[in-house]
Amino acid sequence: MSEHRALDAILQPGGITPVFQPICVVKSDWKVASLECLSRGPKGTNFESANVLFDYVRLKREETLVDRACINTALAAAQNFPSDLHLGINVHASTLGRDPGFAEFLRCAAELNGIAMHRLTIEVVEHAPPWDGVSFLSMLDRLRALGTRIALDDVGLGQSNFKMLLDVRPDFMKIDRYFVDACASDPNRQAVIEVVTRLAQRFGASVVAEGVEDEETVEALQQLGITLMQGFYFSVPLEAHEVREKFRSAAATPPLFDRETKAVALPPHS
Amino acid sequence: MITAPQQESSVRRILIVDDEDLIVMAMRKYFEGLGFIVDGAFELEEAQALLANYRYDLVIADLRLTGIGGVEGLQIVADVHQRCANTRVVLLSAYGTPEIERESYNRGADAFLHKPKSMMEIAHVARTLLEQ
Repeated sequence: MSEHRALDAILQPGGITPVFQPICVVKSDWKVASLECLSRGPKGTNFESANVLFDYVRLKREETLVDRACINTALAAAQNFPSDLHLGINVHASTLGRDPGFAEFLRCAAELNGIAMHRLTIEVVEHAPPWDGVSFLSMLDRLRALGTRIALDDVGLGQSNFKMLLDVRPDFMKIDRYFVDACASDPNRQAVIEVVTRLAQRFGASVVAEGVEDEETVEALQQLGITLMQGFYFSVPLEAHEVREKFRSAAATPPLFDRETKAVALPPHS
Repeated sequence: MITAPQQESSVRRILIVDDEDLIVMAMRKYFEGLGFIVDGAFELEEAQALLANYRYDLVIADLRLTGIGGVEGLQIVADVHQRCANTRVVLLSAYGTPEIERESYNRGADAFLHKPKSMMEIAHVARTLLEQ
């Protein structure tokens, strides 16, 4: 019996299902800025939960293998998406530090699926050091040189700390739902978000608030100067065919987010 | 990354860990029949990932999940008690020596059962622990 049978099941064709969650620009009208590519493990297993999937992968120390598989699957699914739609892809910092061929892999995977590198944002996630810091930062430079942008995920939690901010100099800082959830009624959470927003301004970065689930949170975040938001309030993660359907129907409708139905039916923010 | 909230439920939740598919399937079916929510895991790391994301009332784990000499069940006991002191742990083993059994209790196992045990015997121990 294989000691790694779950990993084998995850990595086999069809083992990973990509889904895409819109990140919206919330100004006078609401538009989709980009889609974050997310992954679900084999259907009918514990790994359908992304949290269980990636906790398992990290415990097995197989982030590099699985990150590559997730990217391959996501980009293949996204190849017929509108060509000006940006995509965020999650990559462990440990993968960036340990996989010297990652930049070339990504370039090839993107090219194979007709996706320009400038459409890609690498969302750096990490839960546990150590990784090779020099290789990690060198890889970020190579990815930037290829045209990708860099986002730091889960800012304020775990390894996404001030040191990471200084080292990575991200284009986007994603504030974890831990800080976003219930921020409308919690001055302390608002204070944390305000600090991150000021930091982002100094870094020349944009802030993305994750885990937005209600109108009150949207309004509170707007008052804190945040315009990029993501969460179930706007849309659950969509399968690739749902993205294509919604954006196809958008061609015949005004490019506005439907606030009443919360339907994502619009072309990307230009 | 999206973080799914932990499920809150009044129904008790059990994790069964064994590298034998048939044992997990049989125990899952039996305990689901008793009204429990049951998750199954076949590897140490799969069990650890589940423990990191869900709260269990009871964990029933085989001591040995890999080849000869494995004692992964002891790691599961340690993980459980690191995360939730109220979770009960039953270890099962066909290779349980007195030393291993003593070590299991020292690490916080609530019961150590020598295989083979019938499903009814395991369920009796489980119910007793959950009623304490």
